[in-house]
Amino acid sequence: MYGFIWRHLPGNVWIKALLSVVLVLAAVYVLFQYVFPWAEPLLPFNDVTVDDQ
Amino acid sequence: MSVRVVVRTVSELCVTVGTVIVLFVLYVLFWTGVKADTAMDDQIAQLERQWARDAAAAGSGGPGTAESPGAAPAKPAAYRDGKPFAVMYVPRLGFTWNKPVLEGTRTKTLKKGLGHYAGTARLGERGNFAVAGHRRTHGDPFKDFPRLRPGDRVVLTDGRTWFTYRIDTGPYRTVPSDTAVIDPVPEKSGYTREGRYLTLTTCEPEWGHSHRLIVWGHLDETQPVEAGKPEALRR
Repeated sequence: MYGFIWRHLPGNVWIKALLSVVLVLAAVYVLFQYVFPWAEPLLPFNDVTVDDQ
Repeated sequence: MSVRVVVRTVSELCVTVGTVIVLFVLYVLFWTGVKADTAMDDQIAQLERQWARDAAAAGSGGPGTAESPGAAPAKPAAYRDGKPFAVMYVPRLGFTWNKPVLEGTRTKTLKKGLGHYAGTARLGERGNFAVAGHRRTHGDPFKDFPRLRPGDRVVLTDGRTWFTYRIDTGPYRTVPSDTAVIDPVPEKSGYTREGRYLTLTTCEPEWGHSHRLIVWGHLDETQPVEAGKPEALRR
C-alpha cells in the first residue's frame, strides 16, 4: 500500500519525501478536524446529563 | 498476487489502524482539552465584553439605570440556546477554577463550557437551577466533582449579581434516567419546600456513563457586582 503510493509519487526522492509528509499531515488534519469530532460523541464521556434517555 | 504482497498489505493496514487509534486517544485525552480551554476562555471573554457594554449603556443614563432607586431592575434578557450567560466559580475545585455556563445541554454546547438545563429555573430564581458538565475530556471541568462536600460554596455571576449557593447534599449517585433530580424540589435532596436550589450533574464513573453524580445546594446570599467579590472568592 505505502510502496504503491511511494512509486506513484512524482519527482525524485526528496520531492517524494516532501509529498509524503504533506500527505501524512493532510491525513492527520482530516482525522482531527472531521473524523474524530464525529466519532468522539460515540464514546461514553459525553453523557453528563440526566435527561438524555 | 504473491503471499508476500498480501502479508505486507495486511501488516501495513494493521500499523495504520494502530496509528489512527493512538491519534484518537491523543485527540480525546489531550486535544479536546486544548480546544475546550480555548473555547471556555473565549466564552468568558465574550461575556465580559457584553457585561462591559451593558455597564457602559447603563452608566450613560438610559431608562432603568442603576441610579434610579426603587425602580424595578430591568427584566434580564432571556437565555439564548448555546450562548453563555454566567460564570461559575467553585473554590473547592481550585481557587482559579471558573467556567462559563451556557444555555442548553447539547453535545455541542457542553464542549464550550457547562450547560444549563433548558427548562429549569434561571440563575437565582425560585426553582432549581440545574447545570451539567463534563467530568472527563473537553477540559475536564468537573474532574474533582466527588470532592464537593456539604457546605462548599458555588458562586455564579451574571454580570450584575453574585449568587452564592451552598451545597447541602454530597455527591449522590443515580442512574441516567433519573430526571427527578432536576425537579424544582428534587425529592432525593431532602428539600421539602420550594426554594432557590442548585443542581450540578456529571457522569459517573469517571470514564463511564452508567451512572450520574449529583450535588444539590440552595441559594445562600446574593450581592450586586458593585459590592465586590463575595467572601467565598476572597483570599
